[in-house]
Amino acid sequence: MARPTTPTTEVRRAYVLGGNRIPFARAGGPYVRASNQDMLTAAIDGLVARYGLQGERIGEVAAGAVLKHSKDFNLTREAVLGSALSAETPAYDVQQACATGLETVVSLSNKIRLGQLESAIAGGVDSTSDAPIAVSNRLRRALLDLSRAKTVGQKFAAVAKIRPKDLAPVAPNTGEPRTHLSMGEHQALTTAQWEITQAAQDEVALASHQRLAAAYDSGFFDDLVTPFRGLTRDANLRADSSLEKLAKLKPAFGLGLDTPATMTAGNSTPLSDGASTVLLGSAEWAAAHDLVPLASVIDAEAGAVDFVHGDDGLLMAPAFAVPRLLARNGLTLDDLDYIEIHEAFAATVLTTLAAWESEEFGRTRLGLDGAFGTVDRAKLNVHGSSLAAGHPFAATGGRIIATISKELHRRKVESGSDRPVRALVSVCAAGGLGLTAILEAA
Amino acid sequence: MTATVVLPEVPALGGLFTRGAGLSLARRVRSGPSVLPDVEYLVRGVQASSEHLTEYQHLLGESASDALPAGFVHVLAFPVATALMVRNDFPLPLVGLVHLANRVTQLRPVLLTDVLDVRATATDLRGHRSGTQVDLVTEVSVDGSVAWRGVSTYLARGLFLAGPVEESSDTFVPPTPTGRWKLDGDVGRRYAAVSGDRNPIHLSALSAKLLGFPRAIAHGMYTASRALADVGAGRGDAFAWSVEFVKPVLLPGTVTVRIARSSEDFTFAGWDARSGKPHLTGSVTSLR
Repeated sequence: MARPTTPTTEVRRAYVLGGNRIPFARAGGPYVRASNQDMLTAAIDGLVARYGLQGERIGEVAAGAVLKHSKDFNLTREAVLGSALSAETPAYDVQQACATGLETVVSLSNKIRLGQLESAIAGGVDSTSDAPIAVSNRLRRALLDLSRAKTVGQKFAAVAKIRPKDLAPVAPNTGEPRTHLSMGEHQALTTAQWEITQAAQDEVALASHQRLAAAYDSGFFDDLVTPFRGLTRDANLRADSSLEKLAKLKPAFGLGLDTPATMTAGNSTPLSDGASTVLLGSAEWAAAHDLVPLASVIDAEAGAVDFVHGDDGLLMAPAFAVPRLLARNGLTLDDLDYIEIHEAFAATVLTTLAAWESEEFGRTRLGLDGAFGTVDRAKLNVHGSSLAAGHPFAATGGRIIATISKELHRRKVESGSDRPVRALVSVCAAGGLGLTAILEAA
Repeated sequence: MTATVVLPEVPALGGLFTRGAGLSLARRVRSGPSVLPDVEYLVRGVQASSEHLTEYQHLLGESASDALPAGFVHVLAFPVATALMVRNDFPLPLVGLVHLANRVTQLRPVLLTDVLDVRATATDLRGHRSGTQVDLVTEVSVDGSVAWRGVSTYLARGLFLAGPVEESSDTFVPPTPTGRWKLDGDVGRRYAAVSGDRNPIHLSALSAKLLGFPRAIAHGMYTASRALADVGAGRGDAFAWSVEFVKPVLLPGTVTVRIARSSEDFTFAGWDARSGKPHLTGSVTSLR
C-alpha cells in the first residue's frame, strides 16, 4: 500500500502573551475627535509600554476596522509607523465585520504555528464618532466622469448630471446591504422565532454589567487596559444597573412584529469607540522576552448562514460553527471551562443557547442525534461582555481574547493540576458571519 | 394564417406611448374591434449594451454577470409587444392598462454577446371582474431556439369586451419578513431610465395625479425584478419566474418583503407592513 504523500507535521503552539486596550467609550463621548488610527496607535503603544517592546521588530501586526475611511487603506501599518515599535515591523489590514479582531488573532497565530512568525500583534479598532461619510453614488460617478473629461463639452456634461439631492452625504448604517434591515431588526426576528423574553435578556445584560464591574473592582483589568483621553473604565458600564431599571426601558427593535417587542437599549450594545490589541508569540520568543504564555490558540472555525432567504437568523452562524469546531477537536460543551459569546445583543446569546438546547435544531439543522448541549451559565462571559463594555466592532475580538487568556492562565495556576483548562470564543458578525475559536490555558 | 410584421429595430417606447395615447383617447370615445389582430411582430438582431446592462444590474441589485437578468431581457424585448399594442386594430387602449401579472420562462441563459430575435404576439382576450384582460407573449430566441419567453397580462378597466369572470381572491396573511425595500421618490424615474418605460404614472406625483394616482407608483416589473435579484444565484440557469401585482407601490414608500426558499424553489411577497395588504406575490421555480 502506498504511503500518504503528505507527511504529518507536528505544528507548534502559538501563545497569547498579553493584551492591551483603551477603555471603550460611547459614541460621541471622550473619543469623539479621535480617529481609528489615533486609537489603534494608542492601544499598540500601551502594549509596547506594558511588555517592553520599544523599538522591537515584531513579526507582523494585523488589525482592522469595520467602519473605515478610504484614506485608511493601510491603517495598521500607519498605526505601527506612529507607534514605538520598530518601523521595520510589517503590518496588514483585515476586515471581517465584527469578527475582524478575532480573525487577526486566528490568522496570526496560525502563522506562528507554521513557523512563519515568532511574534505578532493582533488588533482592531472602530469609531462610530469619526465614521466615514461618503458622497452619493450619482455625485461620485459625475465627479469621476469629470476627472476623466478632456473637452469643455465633456466637463459640462459631467457636471450637468449632478442634481441637488446628489449632494446629500451618505452616512454608514448598520443595515444589511441585501435586506436593508438593521442588525437589531434582524435579531428581533430571531428573538421572536426562539421566543426569548425581555426578562431573560435583561438578566444577561445585568450579569454583564455586574461581572465587568466586579472585574474592574478586583483589579483584573489593571494590566489589560490603559486609560485614554481621561477615560479609565468602559464608559458604558453601569455598575448600579438593576432588573427594575432595565425592565422600564422601552423596546427599540421588533416593534413592527406581531410578537411582543423585547429588545431595548439596555439589552443591546451601544455604538462605541475603542481599540484593542493582543500580543502573540512562540514559546521561544516568549522565553527570550521574559514573557509568560497565558493561553494557546488551539483551533478556529468560521461559519455563515443564509439569512437573506430566511433560512436562519442573521447572527446565528456561531450556532453552526461551534458544533463543527468542537467535533473536530473531540470536545463537547462540558469539556470547556469558559464560554465567551459576544453580546451583540443579549438575545443573540440566548438564541444561540436556545438553538443548542433544541432537539429539533440539533437534528434538522446540525445533523446531530439530538440537542447539541446546554451551556452552564456560570461559565458564560465570566468577566462581562459587550453589553457592559460596549462594542467598537473590530476591537471586540481583541478584548475577549486578552480577557479570557488572562483568566485561563489564572485558573490554571490556581488549580495547580495538569488538567487542560479551555475556553470557547464565539463572535457573530454582519453578513450572516460567525467566527469561533478554542483557547487552552498555558 | 398569422401575418408577420418585421420591424428594423426595437422601437423606442416614447414614440409608442405618444401614438398609444392618441389611440387610447379614440378607444374611450368610440368602441374599436373586439378581437385581437392575428399578427406577430418580429425584430431580428437585437443586442444588449454592456453599459445598459451594468446600469440595470446596479439599479436592481443583480450581480454583474454577463448573463442577462430575466427582467433585463423583458426590458429589451417588451417594446416589440408594445408596438403591437398601438396598432389601430388592437382592441384595448394602451394608456391606463394595468399590469396584472407576469410570467417568464427562462430556458437557458441569455448572454451579453448573444444576438437575439424577438417575437411578440397578443393572445387570450378574456373577461375580468373589472374589465378585459389580455396576454402579450414575447419570445426571445438565440440561433433559432427559444431561450426566454414572457407572458405579460394586462387589464383594461371598465372596458367589457368579453364576459365577466368570477375569480377567487385569496386572503393574504403577511409572513415573517426577510427584508425591506426602501424606495425613494425617484425610483420610478430611475427604472424609467433603464427600461425606457416613461409612463407618467411612474415619473412624478404631479404626472401621476393627472392619471388618477395620489402619488407616483413604482413599475411593477421593478418590484418583480428586485425580488428576482434577491433570490439570487439560487434560481439557477433555467427557471420560471411568475408574479402577480396586487396593489401598486406608492413612491416614496417602504415595502416589507419575504424572499424565501421553499424546498428547491423560492416564493416571494412584498407588502405594506402597516396595512398588511400585499403589493406583489410570486415565485421562482427551477426548471432543472
